[in-house]
Amino acid sequence: MPNSAGKRFKPTKYIPVSTAATLLVGSTTLFFVFTCPWLTKVISPAVPLYNGLVFLFVLANFSMATFMDPGVYPRADEDEDKDDDFRAPLYKNVEIKGIQVRMKWCATCHFYRPPRCSHCSVCDNCVEDFDHHCPWVNNCIGRRNYRYFFLFLLSLSIHMVGVFSFGLIFVLHHRERLGALHTTVTLVVMCIAGLFFIPVMGLTGFHMVLVARGRTTNEQVTGKFRGGVNPFTKGCCGNVEYVLCSPLAPRYMLDPRKKPHAKIQPPFIRPDLSERQITIKVSDNGIHTTIISSKSKSSLDGLDDKETQPPLPPKADRYNQLKSQLTSSEESSLSGKTHPSTPAMYKFRPSFGTMPKVHYHTAGEKVRYDLFNTYTSAILEEGVRGHDYRSEPNLDLPEYTNAPLHRTFQSSPLQLDSDPINSRSLSLKQGQRRPEKGQLPALQPQTVTSTPYKSVFSPNTLSNRNGSLSYDSLLNPSISPATASECMAHRGMPSMGFHSPYLPTKMCHIREPEMQRHQVAPTYSPVMPPRGVGRQSPHSRDRDPSPVRYDNLSQTIMASIQERKEMEEREKRQMLHGRSQTHIYAQDSGVFDGGYGLPPNVCYPDGPRGPGSRGPTPPAYGGSRDNLMGVGLVSYGQRTPVLRHAGSTLGRAPRTSSTSLHTDHSSTNSSHSRATAPEGLYRSPAHQPHSPAMPRSPSYSHQKLSYISAHERTDSPRLGGPREAMKVNGQMDCHPSAQGATHSPSRHSNVKKVTGVGGTTYEISV
Amino acid sequence: MGTEMGQKRHSASLANKVFIQRDYSEGTTCKFQTKFPSELESRIERTLFEDTVKTLNNYYAEAEKIGGQSYLEGCLACATAYLIFLCVETRYEKVLKKIAKYIQEQNEKIYAPRGLLITDPIERGMRVIEISIYEDRGSSGSSSGSSSVSGSTAR
Repeated sequence: MPNSAGKRFKPTKYIPVSTAATLLVGSTTLFFVFTCPWLTKVISPAVPLYNGLVFLFVLANFSMATFMDPGVYPRADEDEDKDDDFRAPLYKNVEIKGIQVRMKWCATCHFYRPPRCSHCSVCDNCVEDFDHHCPWVNNCIGRRNYRYFFLFLLSLSIHMVGVFSFGLIFVLHHRERLGALHTTVTLVVMCIAGLFFIPVMGLTGFHMVLVARGRTTNEQVTGKFRGGVNPFTKGCCGNVEYVLCSPLAPRYMLDPRKKPHAKIQPPFIRPDLSERQITIKVSDNGIHTTIISSKSKSSLDGLDDKETQPPLPPKADRYNQLKSQLTSSEESSLSGKTHPSTPAMYKFRPSFGTMPKVHYHTAGEKVRYDLFNTYTSAILEEGVRGHDYRSEPNLDLPEYTNAPLHRTFQSSPLQLDSDPINSRSLSLKQGQRRPEKGQLPALQPQTVTSTPYKSVFSPNTLSNRNGSLSYDSLLNPSISPATASECMAHRGMPSMGFHSPYLPTKMCHIREPEMQRHQVAPTYSPVMPPRGVGRQSPHSRDRDPSPVRYDNLSQTIMASIQERKEMEEREKRQMLHGRSQTHIYAQDSGVFDGGYGLPPNVCYPDGPRGPGSRGPTPPAYGGSRDNLMGVGLVSYGQRTPVLRHAGSTLGRAPRTSSTSLHTDHSSTNSSHSRATAPEGLYRSPAHQPHSPAMPRSPSYSHQKLSYISAHERTDSPRLGGPREAMKVNGQMDCHPSAQGATHSPSRHSNVKKVTGVGGTTYEISV
Repeated sequence: MGTEMGQKRHSASLANKVFIQRDYSEGTTCKFQTKFPSELESRIERTLFEDTVKTLNNYYAEAEKIGGQSYLEGCLACATAYLIFLCVETRYEKVLKKIAKYIQEQNEKIYAPRGLLITDPIERGMRVIEISIYEDRGSSGSSSGSSSVSGSTAR
């Protein structure tokens, strides 16, 4: 046929395929017509049957090879190649099973050809697993139709052999009449078969080798793997299996299916925020991990005052619970704030530590927490988890003691900005975390150590869900710096509103980190026994947020801190016995750290806290409250219910006492003096029940020291115990008043009023 | 969500496209890279994305598996002179339908709410997974704003 100029129709390209088709069909037909009848008669009917089947097979494969899409790649969209087109290198390397394979840029199709892909100039397409372009079938042989092509070759070879053989038999039997029609035709057929026998057999053999080696014609002819290793081979059997038995590959050149597309409508969800908000992860910082775990189980004991367990309530009163809740947040915040200098704060610190796992931040963010995290998360966890967790605000003091006070939680959302100022904002008591910050600055300068706490406490303040710095945290000045960090962490949580003493802190975590940032109530003296924090929070929660609201977080923290402190105190008490710790409940004053001179008195007047907190007689720190000094132990024993450890009690007072507050947070509840009780509500005078906080006082004083070092939360449950003892418990939450109220019995003999940073006044019972 | 978004502007415009390339480290079997592209960092959680890609990879692996079913299919096809292909769907096609359904579901549930759209790789020759990133055209930056707002409010 004449060649047309246009691309649309090129008759010449159909010549081979036409010829091939004609020859194939024609010859076979002739064979069947002229040769087979005699063969059927003479040999068997199976002959035509066999030949028929083979021929059918040949035809089928021939058709498939001719009409099947070999695996043509659709052209790439413009969007896809905009990166690659102009400045793109011609080749791109990719490693396949350890061997570098080059992918070439296809200018026609606008993509980098996948391995084994090649562009067919006849078809003007890139074909997957390109083998060759076969003119006899007028099609590319690629991934999809290679099998059929190969089978075609095989079957054609067999067919040709069969036809030739049977024709030969026929001819041999009709030698004498070669001129007869049948014989002539058979001879012609035999000649055709014989003629094409060599090329076809050659090709078949060639492809059999290729299949066995796992190569394509293209690769073989271009010598890609000459002397090299073929990365695509699967072994001889594997290759054969791959060719013959693999599933039929899909077609790429499909008609665009009218699929209903999902509607895209703003607003769109953004992952980071949602993640942060949603995820509450407990990041394990190694050591802290334990802390946290302990916390959850009411591990406070473990650390300091494990008492902090879940919402203080164990203490037996709902009051306690409240307190704990409140305290924890407060404490945490407070404790965070209280600079380390205050022993009470010190104690507090641990509580933060436990919480460290600030969960809420996204995975990436938590990282920073470190020790702080541990604390905070511990605390926070408690807070967050609500009552469940309450248990332990993780005052893993011990661990954190060494811990970098400076843990920078900052990075995480929880990051309680450790600016001390924030913590200081315990004075936030007003309940706004932010204000805390303002106040903090004042505090800040106070103690260097406090700084680290800041971070700790900040969270606390934040954690005050109530927005008020848990006074408790202040009360637990004894919280160690670590706690402070925790506090910080808590801060983040507070927003959640803790249910448990620790809960707040935890919740803080969950909440946005923002919470913490603002809230960081550095004023918490880390010293504040975390217990208090933990403890307090619950209290606070239950109770009704004290008028002075620290951050929710802080409350939680405070509570936890307080609890811790209580525990520590208890421990100390046991150890020391007889020490009168003067806890400085600095916590109460929100501004915990005011220098820890905060009077452990629970009743910190902490301005921010609101007088309420002072509540009933500032827990007498008990004479032993000396620890108020710096112990900051939150011995809110007295009020324990809220674990507010008045960690801040300067005297570090017996944390222990406070602990008794609620679930026996050994925190120095006894420091009923925790004036901090901003939460007034916190005061759990009712708490007393569970812990004779009062009685504890003796232990407090010592605790102070011990707190700082080790959160021992032994805080004897003296919650109510000798108030005087100390309770510094930061019980911030509301214990201050509660403390006094709760067990006023042992009021400390002397009550010294100390003004802390930020203007908070603490009463320290000496 | 931010108030801005409140204005129900259902307009989203295509902002960008991300192409997830094939992972050829194990040969020419169909497998996509699970590396999380940076453009999606602010749009979708890494885990969700990885889950999607891994599921797709699993589907493709299942489709291309050489085993009993593929033997049977081949023999049957031979026996019927490939006429069977006119009547019955091949295994690969069945899996492709499952994949299409999966992608549709993922789009509806996960990606579209985040302003993303996954294109079935089969439409691109199984060379890439194309993820279209949409931006809210209505209020520029509102989507992000809303997100941040929501984020903050979420606290």
